[in-house]
Amino acid sequence: MPERRDTDPTQPAQDDAIGCGRLSRESLELAAIARVDRAVELDERTATHLVICRDCAEAVARLAQEHSLLVELAQAARPEPAPAPELDGGAGASPEEIPGYRLKRELHRGGQGAVYLAEQLATRRTCAVKMLLGGRFATQAQRMRFEREVEVVAALRHPAIVTLYESGLSRAGEPWFAMEFVAGERLDEFVRRTAPDSRAIAAMMQRIAEAIAYAHRRGVIHRDLKPGNILVDADGAPRILDFGLARSSSNAEAADPRSGSTLAGEFVGTFAYAAPEQLAGDPSLVDSRCDLYALGVVFYEILAGARPFEGAKSIAELVAQKSAGVSRRPSAVSAGGDRFVEPDLDVIVLRLLAPDPARRYETAAALAEDLSRYLDGRPILAREDSIAYVVSKTVKRHKLASGAAALLAVTIVGSGVALAILYSNAEEQRRIAEEERVRVEAERERVERAYLRFRSALESANPEEGPALATMNVRDFLEVVEDRVRAEMEDEPVALAQMLQTLGTIQLGFDEPDRSRDAIATASELISQAHAAGHVTDEERAVAAIALGKQYFADGALDRSEREYRAALDLLERSAGEDALITVETMRHLATVLRRQGRLAEASEQLEQARGHAVQLPATNDGYIVRAGILNGRGVLAAELGDHALAIDAFREALDVLSRFVPENDYRRGRTLSSLARAEFEVGLLSDAEQNAVEAVRILTERKGANGEWTVEASALLAAIREVMASQRAVAP
Amino acid sequence: MGPKSREIRVEWSPHSGGVLRTVRTMDSMDLDRTTTALLAALHDSANAAAWEAFDQRYRPIIVGFARSCGLAEHDAAELAQATIVRFIEQYREGKYDRERGRLGAWLVTIAKYRLLDTRRKASSMHIAHGESAIVNLDDDRAVGDAYETQRRLAILREALKELREKTKTDPRTIRAFELLYYHGMSVQAVAADLGMQPQEVYLAKSRVAARIREIVARIEREFEETPGELESSPSRVSAMLGG
Repeated sequence: MPERRDTDPTQPAQDDAIGCGRLSRESLELAAIARVDRAVELDERTATHLVICRDCAEAVARLAQEHSLLVELAQAARPEPAPAPELDGGAGASPEEIPGYRLKRELHRGGQGAVYLAEQLATRRTCAVKMLLGGRFATQAQRMRFEREVEVVAALRHPAIVTLYESGLSRAGEPWFAMEFVAGERLDEFVRRTAPDSRAIAAMMQRIAEAIAYAHRRGVIHRDLKPGNILVDADGAPRILDFGLARSSSNAEAADPRSGSTLAGEFVGTFAYAAPEQLAGDPSLVDSRCDLYALGVVFYEILAGARPFEGAKSIAELVAQKSAGVSRRPSAVSAGGDRFVEPDLDVIVLRLLAPDPARRYETAAALAEDLSRYLDGRPILAREDSIAYVVSKTVKRHKLASGAAALLAVTIVGSGVALAILYSNAEEQRRIAEEERVRVEAERERVERAYLRFRSALESANPEEGPALATMNVRDFLEVVEDRVRAEMEDEPVALAQMLQTLGTIQLGFDEPDRSRDAIATASELISQAHAAGHVTDEERAVAAIALGKQYFADGALDRSEREYRAALDLLERSAGEDALITVETMRHLATVLRRQGRLAEASEQLEQARGHAVQLPATNDGYIVRAGILNGRGVLAAELGDHALAIDAFREALDVLSRFVPENDYRRGRTLSSLARAEFEVGLLSDAEQNAVEAVRILTERKGANGEWTVEASALLAAIREVMASQRAVAP
Repeated sequence: MGPKSREIRVEWSPHSGGVLRTVRTMDSMDLDRTTTALLAALHDSANAAAWEAFDQRYRPIIVGFARSCGLAEHDAAELAQATIVRFIEQYREGKYDRERGRLGAWLVTIAKYRLLDTRRKASSMHIAHGESAIVNLDDDRAVGDAYETQRRLAILREALKELREKTKTDPRTIRAFELLYYHGMSVQAVAADLGMQPQEVYLAKSRVAARIREIVARIEREFEETPGELESSPSRVSAMLGG
């Protein structure tokens, strides 16, 4: 080539080899384009690799930047310097400017942009294309952020959320979004037209709350919930529009009162649903609870037929109103109308509209749960807190300090029935608080006692002190400790259970299922009881089930193991969420159990599920180790299905990840090396197999002992490899 | 217009006692092309080269800006002309002081009022389109963004021109970029078309991006929107000019 080679190391894009070398340049380039253009799909292998390989992920990021620059350059170099929207034309980019879509007709036009009915040419499906006007991205960084956020939002899949298909930038640099087309009616219009009773409204809000909880679990906040963003489809089911878009476009800036935006027509529409902390303009105060507030306004509005705050002439006034709290309950406003609003719904709505985010529902899931309770006729959970809230509001209105003085003042100054009720309620609150204090104190004492007893249990293993033998090994020692712990901590079942669980898990780590069985079984039993009594969390209960699952697995009781893992998963999905590390790891364990049972298709499905969620894991060491575990699982599965080449690929990739995130002699490396050696042996790569088997035996002997199950397996493999090698040498001339 | 080793008469500043200097530029920074130097040269009404260089730099940006504000091509060109003339008048009257703000902001302000005026004259009908795509002139942020977009496009255009005309980049390298990005051809098709290996096509594309990035960075330095934000602060420039 006639050109000079660029040797500047800061320009790695010019080197022949980029990334770790596993992926072809073509794959990396394609992945880079896929970042910018969602219509491009990646093959599974590339997608997986990019999740785990930092080198390649960085290379793709660099190439994506390069690609964006070149797209920009090509745009700039077109003869037409800028799109020429005619004054009376109105719309920004004209319909034919959205590649891959045919825009059919305009559905809606507002201050933020226009929505078109469109056909996606590749799939022929009908969809809606929304073009945001004035939402340009001036810098590369803004665009990249926009693309990343769109990726997250487009991954939302929920029956009550309108799916975002893809997004891009028009030639003028304005973002457009293609989304599922829903033929529906705005929520407020639907309610006006069909006049459902408050129960039906609550049922609808429950579905909306569930959808929002789903999005929140994935880190997406809507930020612009309003009746216009909730459509009711032909089946009467609510569908939420524009999830997360307020955040990723400059609309958020337009709606920022500090920007002095003059979108006067949008004023009411945007700010009526904004939480006071949103209006205050401090982004650090805004979290998922602002969606709950907006939902509260929507709920209030459709129940009562009027918004909770009316008549504000400026943002300052609106903020003042909202900070003071709601003055009339929905039931009071709707009184005289056709709709009867039950007190429980008042409580739920007022809790949503609490000016202080800490007093709202903690999560949308909690709101959904309370609405379910209301619908089932069970007592709602918001009630207790709402009493405290009402007290605090009353106190605030009297402009008094707080605490006892305020309480006292209320009882002295006030008179009549209402205040008497408040007083007794306040007393109730104080009693609850006192009980809580006593409970915490008792808990502290319990932990202290448990600690002292555990210490004495350990000391008992000192050969000078107790019955222990000077010759005992670690495993014997653990058994002595277990006996002492059982004796000392009997009256502290939860602490005992956790101690036994730890001891048992260590024994299992030593491949001593016979020694761990009793401890783990007892622990699981105790934790189950405590869980039923409400003394331990779902997650703690799940951890116990996982330990038992491992025990059963080691015992070869696969059906029981499966049952425990499934029970753990059930609990974890509810508590920690599907994307939590522990949940993903449990999915992987379950896949292993299924594989051992010979249910390979199910195992594969389960593993893929784990892989899907692993993408969401944080980029921490543990996150990567779990991903490596999943790769390893794929390898084992492939080997079992006889595809040794694929297995080798998966094991090598797993090792690659492990070697970066665990010490060189970590048992997981040893285990994976052993699996790799077996697969290599199967396809005749004898010297590679030998080398890896030697390394595996070394690591496993060091970590698991010469008699550990995996060590023995790896040693046998090494012997077999060497035997074949020797016989080949003998045959060779 | 080749800035390298071109002579330009530069009157450094009104404060330098009106001394005219002759400067020969030679380093890649093209000192005579920095906005600071151009502005200085504009004080000399006889300096057609400075006028031309200034016009060449800012006219396309203002045309693009005016078009994104809804003007047709012809009206946009007229507006750009009027804006630049008005700016130079104001500048020579000493109304524009760089310490008071970015040059772009000043130009946009002139253009904006001209635009509002044009609209008023054109028809009241247009004003009724409150929700159109065109830049809302009441929204300073949107106006500023529109100008920035046009400035970026102008810089990219200039960078590409420079890549084609002033660097020793293999024409096939540039052709590969064009086929990929203007014509949307696949890498394989481009490789076949140009008799290259696909790998070479990727490298060509990366090379274009890397060169463009370098050139853009240099032009950005020349554009230095406010004085003192980089090394060519007046004192430094004046020192380099031998002042």
